[in-house]
Amino acid sequence: MPWETAIPDVLAGEQPLAGLASASSPMDSEEFAGFYERSARSLWAYLARVSCDAALADDLMQESYLRFLCAAHPTDGDVARRRYLFRIATNLLRDHWRRPRATSIEEIPEEVFRAADESAPADTKAMLGPAMKLLRPRDRQLLWLAYAEGYSHREIAEVTGLASASIRLLLFRARRKMAALLREQTSKDRRPL
Amino acid sequence: MIPGTCAREKEVAELLRSGHWPQACSLELHAHVGGCRACGNLILVTETFQRARSNAAGMARLESPGALWARAQLRRRNAAIERIGRPILGAQIFALAVSVLVAAGFLVLQFRQGAPWTSWIKDFPRSLHLEALWPSAPPTFDGHLWFVVPLLAALAVLSGVVAYVASEQE
Repeated sequence: MPWETAIPDVLAGEQPLAGLASASSPMDSEEFAGFYERSARSLWAYLARVSCDAALADDLMQESYLRFLCAAHPTDGDVARRRYLFRIATNLLRDHWRRPRATSIEEIPEEVFRAADESAPADTKAMLGPAMKLLRPRDRQLLWLAYAEGYSHREIAEVTGLASASIRLLLFRARRKMAALLREQTSKDRRPL
Repeated sequence: MIPGTCAREKEVAELLRSGHWPQACSLELHAHVGGCRACGNLILVTETFQRARSNAAGMARLESPGALWARAQLRRRNAAIERIGRPILGAQIFALAVSVLVAAGFLVLQFRQGAPWTSWIKDFPRSLHLEALWPSAPPTFDGHLWFVVPLLAALAVLSGVVAYVASEQE
């Protein structure tokens, strides 16, 4: 007897193994499509602004959704799902930053340069882009989650894995730094040539 | 309270969150924000980030959710197959290890008993009657392994190739 016939349900994707039971996700494809429509743009914005790389944001967004669908995600509403999705994306970003950088220009795919060129005009117009690049990745994450996504300190702690008690202080420092950079940027722009 | 923060930040943050800043803000709070560094920072950063969020969201190139769903199903299926295959691989390794141990034990035992099976190996070419397949073969090769060993090796290699080709075709 071929072994595939012994596990038809698993191969057909109808009934996963016990270990993946929670990943069988009560979310069907239509529900996922709805959730994707509601969350994808803000997730991409988070990844693109925090990483300062549009092509990387594309890749990490896809990977975030794949992991979200394969893992046992929360079933108690969109807010919790969204938070979980941001947590996956945050971990992926962290993994990306920890990975050693490519040392040779030949190792970098052509698409990276193309994507960077496409996103460049939008970035240079915005005030936030240059200021974000001067901040530490963790500060960018905290600021985006707090002021763009409107997450509370407890929610930010959940997404980033940092201690809830330290969020307030870290966020205060990051905000002060960002405000100074933005003011500096504004005064540079206003200065006559 | 962290030095440099303001007690009215919460109030300002709430107005920003609800979109009531600056229209629905009292004159008194407006005046306070004008002179308060912490509240000014809060407003500057929040407004900049909210604007950046709406700009960036419009730049997103979204993949079809159906394609993502299908890829996730494929990944889950592969993970399930891998999970099932793991114990099978373990069993195969265990079976191989047991076979090797038994073969090694058998050989040790045979050598201790004076290796009686070596005479069987000497007689093996004769038992195959290979001389019948080889009309011009020298009639006296009985007992000589110089001819049988390469032949068996060739047969083993050939059967391996046949098995590989057959499995590839499958």
